[in-house]
Amino acid sequence: MAQEKAPQRRFKLSLDTWAVWTALTLVLLVRLGLVTKVPW
Amino acid sequence: MASTSIAVPQAPSLPPALTLLRVVPGVLLLGAIGYLGKFIEQSINAYAKAHHLTIPNIEYVLWAILIGLVVSNTIGVPRVFQPGVATYEFWLKAGIVFLGVRFLLGDVLKLGGLSLSLVGVELTVAIVIMTLLGRIFKLSPKLTSLLAVGSSICGVSAIIATKGAIEADDEDASLAIAAILALGGLSLVIFPLVGHALHLSDRAYGLWAGLAVDNTAEATAAGALFSDAAAKVAVLAKTTRNALIGFVVLAYAIYWAGKGQASEIKNKAGFLWQKFPKFVLGFLLLSLLATFHAFDKAQIGSIANLSRWAFLLTFAGVGLRTNIRELGKQGWRPFVVGAVGEIGIAVITLAIVVVADKFI
Repeated sequence: MAQEKAPQRRFKLSLDTWAVWTALTLVLLVRLGLVTKVPW
Repeated sequence: MASTSIAVPQAPSLPPALTLLRVVPGVLLLGAIGYLGKFIEQSINAYAKAHHLTIPNIEYVLWAILIGLVVSNTIGVPRVFQPGVATYEFWLKAGIVFLGVRFLLGDVLKLGGLSLSLVGVELTVAIVIMTLLGRIFKLSPKLTSLLAVGSSICGVSAIIATKGAIEADDEDASLAIAAILALGGLSLVIFPLVGHALHLSDRAYGLWAGLAVDNTAEATAAGALFSDAAAKVAVLAKTTRNALIGFVVLAYAIYWAGKGQASEIKNKAGFLWQKFPKFVLGFLLLSLLATFHAFDKAQIGSIANLSRWAFLLTFAGVGLRTNIRELGKQGWRPFVVGAVGEIGIAVITLAIVVVADKFI
């Protein structure tokens, strides 16, 4: 008999959401002046 | 919507710190290849300037993709680098969010509105062409659905989303993904050539690349290979297309559920939200903040450069994940259907874009 899967308790973010939060965090650091003059 | 979930085996659940460590070598490889591409571009330009030569500028985008292609098709990507290389889609999405700062909301609405109406036409054309070709070449109906979604919306991500929703076979999904990836690679060569030959404006070319190139990474690269301004427009047009992914996947899910070959979707609003690409919201938020002068000029410059670095990693990943031998093993019929369909879509969207660019 197939065993029932334990409910997934860990809060998982999608790749999309990770990318958005990472980008917004970096933008916040730039806005606060903690990251300046990013070169290219 | 990780497009890598089929191409790259997923590791079992690991603690976050270990997961982060696993991606470090691959991300460093992406950075090294991307930076090498940038270095080659700058070196050639510096040499040409010093010797008063006129050499066409080959963007770092093309170098990064080419180096990635050579590595992946000669020595291959060693296992230790694979989890990090698979993050290229993460960098792509972060890069698109950063890019929002270079758009005023008015431009987004104007260009996005134009893109949206063109996307409507492109969607119809792509789905009709692919469905007809699938029937002519006697592909399985679900493979045809996957190819239609892949060519009409956003390539690999859309195929994976649809695969789950219509309960298609893994084999059909792999075939459709292989066809879309191979054709995406070819478009990187063909689109800039055609664009320059026809002297398209940045706006027309960007719209065309955003509408007709299937994968977001390739659409961004195809735009960047033409010009920086074209890349901006291509990303916006492609993002508009991506935003519609949920609706198209839902329509196919309802169609296949109606035939009794897929489960019925009960919570349609929840389904649409689940499939909606969240980076579109991040892009719009930054555009809104830039419109209301939340950043000074230097900050906008820094965020725009963050976007360039994120795209640099993406372009290296596009080359590294393309294995020509693997693509060749997948059988010819999906490729023929994909290729004929894509040519038809590219020609029709080009005609629409040229007309739209003149009159709108």
